[in-house]
Amino acid sequence: MEFNHPNPDKFVSLKNLTKRFGNFQALSDISLDIREGEIFGYIGPNGAGKTTTIKILVGLISNFQGEVSIGGYQLPQRKEEAHKLLGYLPQNVAFQEWRTINQALRTFGKLSGLIDTQVEEKIPQVLELLGLLEVRHKKITQLSGGMNQKVGLAQALLHEPKLLVLDEPLGGLDPYSRYQFKEIIRKLRQKGTTIIFSSHILSDVQDVADRIGIINRGRIKKIGTLDDLKARFKTKKTVEVLLVSKTEKLNGLSKIKNVIGVDQLSPSKVLVNLEANADEAQAVFDIAEYIVKLKIPIRGINVLEPSLDQIYLNYVQEEEK
Amino acid sequence: MQLGLLFADELRGFYKSKVMIFLWIGMPLIAVLFRFISVETSGQDIPFTLVSTVVVSSLAGTLAAVMLAVFIINEKNRRVYDLFLIRPLKRREIILAKFLAVYLCVAIASFIAVVTGIMVDYVTIGSMSMAALADAGTSLATSLSMIAVSCSAGVLIGVFSPTVLVGAILVIYGGNQVSVIPLVPTMLNLPQATVFTIVLAGALAGVLLAVAVALFERQQF
Repeated sequence: MEFNHPNPDKFVSLKNLTKRFGNFQALSDISLDIREGEIFGYIGPNGAGKTTTIKILVGLISNFQGEVSIGGYQLPQRKEEAHKLLGYLPQNVAFQEWRTINQALRTFGKLSGLIDTQVEEKIPQVLELLGLLEVRHKKITQLSGGMNQKVGLAQALLHEPKLLVLDEPLGGLDPYSRYQFKEIIRKLRQKGTTIIFSSHILSDVQDVADRIGIINRGRIKKIGTLDDLKARFKTKKTVEVLLVSKTEKLNGLSKIKNVIGVDQLSPSKVLVNLEANADEAQAVFDIAEYIVKLKIPIRGINVLEPSLDQIYLNYVQEEEK
Repeated sequence: MQLGLLFADELRGFYKSKVMIFLWIGMPLIAVLFRFISVETSGQDIPFTLVSTVVVSSLAGTLAAVMLAVFIINEKNRRVYDLFLIRPLKRREIILAKFLAVYLCVAIASFIAVVTGIMVDYVTIGSMSMAALADAGTSLATSLSMIAVSCSAGVLIGVFSPTVLVGAILVIYGGNQVSVIPLVPTMLNLPQATVFTIVLAGALAGVLLAVAVALFERQQF
């Protein structure tokens, strides 16, 4: 499929996107550009506006204010061209009950513009990739939730879309299937597919996303790499001290410069919380010096990096206040 | 243009559904039974074939309409259409493919029912007059007209009803009444009544489908 977009930094572009459902303001003035070939993680609490943004992007909602384009094609005016670039896995994927996996994929492949020979070639490849080849003639009603989700991903991948939009794709999957999904997403990135990935499982977003956007109450709050978000949110830094046995002597750590608190998590683990702008190296040195001075036996000292979960929680809590 | 693909697909799903299997067997069976049942028409001058047609096509039309409405409401509520609507096709093609597939199946079942009736008559009477064959043709045309209206009413109700229960009630009490409208020219003994019936049914079905398509095009998923 040939397409023409003026700027690869704006393969997907949302400008001043606003959507209202009755009295409920679902999206307010959202502007966002996604580069060609990047994986964009889209996170936010329930009802924040993730799914509404995605539905506008894939053309399921066409009544909105603002500008949306995919590959240079403006929505909703050039929806048909934009749709040829698109693969979509909805949050709750559903198929007509009479279909087998094979029938469903044949139909969706053809509707996406593949000819018969391409469909016959692609279906086994995609099913093999997702471990569904053996059950291709099973009725969809006989599948588990996880397998149904895999069929959903199969229909989205079949025509090798330039843009893959995944709305909460890992819900209901077992750990191995989640690992498989993430591996497939990484492989697609290597092929140059642009991927938008919304999820509540923040560690999964953290694992695969090049950039992350946080949305809350219909507004984009922050966009950046995980490092950008860590820097912008200035989350507190934490040093973990692993003890051989429980001791009360570590309470004195709170007197060290830049230490704002000491939490005894378990008899063998203490967390030392530092100020957001603390010099980590200096703090670790001071903590180690204190421990050596008091001759406290330890198994290790680690600096804990804030996870996306922590950043996200800090942010949402801050918003609630 | 994806209508052909969607139509073939819907046909594949529909012809072996439980309701359709009931119609494949049930309609010819009812047509046979009617040959042996005397019907009280309260002294009015209503042809026997018409009564038979009203009952058979009303039953088939109601079942087809209920099924169409239930399919559409279920698929809408389960968000089955999301995967269709994000592909390069026209929304109206989804609705029209469904209507055409169901109508074709029920039309074939009606044809089989009428042919079965003719064969039973031939076996019991021993011969078939031209008048009887013309009667059967009229009967089939009337039946198909009524079913077309029922099916299009089913599609319309399916598109706007929020729940299966509401949809089923509306089809049974509303769709069924609407499907009888094409019989008015026959009831009034108008000249060329069958032609009027077909034209009236075509127009009515067209209007109902156009409204259904317009509503479906506007719906936000």
